[in-house]
Amino acid sequence: MEPNQAAEHLQAIRTLMERSAVYRRALAPIMVYCGVVGIVGGVVGGYWLPNSARGFVLYWASVAVVALFGSFLMVRRQSFKDGEPFWSPPIRRVVEALIPPFAVGAFLGIWFACVNQDIDGCGVLVPVWCVFFGLGIYSAGFFMPRGLKLFGLFYIVAGILLMWGLLNQTVRFPTAAFPNSLMAITFGGFHLAYGIYLYFTEPRGKAS
Amino acid sequence: MNPEPFLQLDRVIHEKGRLAIMSMLAASPELSFTELRNALSMTDGNLTTHIRTLQEEGFVAVSKSYAKNRPLTTCSLTPGGRKAFASYIDLLEQIVRQNKPK
Repeated sequence: MEPNQAAEHLQAIRTLMERSAVYRRALAPIMVYCGVVGIVGGVVGGYWLPNSARGFVLYWASVAVVALFGSFLMVRRQSFKDGEPFWSPPIRRVVEALIPPFAVGAFLGIWFACVNQDIDGCGVLVPVWCVFFGLGIYSAGFFMPRGLKLFGLFYIVAGILLMWGLLNQTVRFPTAAFPNSLMAITFGGFHLAYGIYLYFTEPRGKAS
Repeated sequence: MNPEPFLQLDRVIHEKGRLAIMSMLAASPELSFTELRNALSMTDGNLTTHIRTLQEEGFVAVSKSYAKNRPLTTCSLTPGGRKAFASYIDLLEQIVRQNKPK
C-alpha cells in the first residue's frame, strides 16, 4: 500500500465516522414543547398587543429564549439519561449549522425594530424569520435525521409564499394582532404538528 | 519503504465494504441494518455478507429485536472489533508517516 493510498483510506474513514455520528436524540418532546411555547406566545402576544415594532421584536426574542432554554434542558436531560456527554460532536455540528442563519434572522429583527415604529409592518418580519429559521434547520438537517431537512425546507417555502402574499397584498392585516397570530401559526403550529408526527413515527430509546 | 506495517494490516477490515461498516460503527454506539445500508448504498445481500464475515471474526455484534411489530436488526462493534479497528488506524498512520518528508 502506497502512503498516499493510506492517507486516502484515513480520509474516507474520517468522513464515514462523521456521517455516522448523526444527532439522534428524541425530537418529538422538543418539537411539541416549542410548538406549545409558540402558540401560547402568539395568544399572549395577541391579547397583550405590544403596540410597537420594538415591543414585538423584544417580545418574540423573549419567547425564543424560553423555547431555546427549555429545549436545551430537554437535550441535556436526555444526554445524562443515556450517560453521554451533552456537548458531543453531533450536537456541536448541529449548533454550528444553526448559528449563522439564526444570527442573520436575529440581526434583521433588530434592524427592523430600529427603523420601524408600527406593529402592523411586523407581519413582513414573520416570513423573513420563517425563511432564516428554515435555513438553519435545513443546514442542521445534514447532521440530523432526514425529516429535519424537509421540515426546514417547509419553513423556507412557507416563508417565501407568505412574503409573496404579503407583498402582493393577497394576505392582508385584518387586525393589529395579525403578526402575533402569524407567529403562533408558523412557529407554534408547525412545530406542534411536526412534534405530534414525530411522536408517532420517531424510533424510541435510541440515541447517539 | 518499510513494508512491515502494510503486512500487519488486518485483511478482514482492509476490504473496502467492511472498512466502511467498521468506520460507521466506530462512531456510533449502534446502527440499524437499514441505516448502514442507506448510508453506504449497499445491497441487502452485500451488507449481510460483510456483516457475517465481521461477526465471524468477532468484530461486530448483531442483535435482533422488534420495533413497532417490525423486525429490527442492529449492529455494534465488539470490544475486540474496536481494538482491531484502532490498530488498523494506527498502522495506516504509520504508513503515512513513513513517507513524510523529513
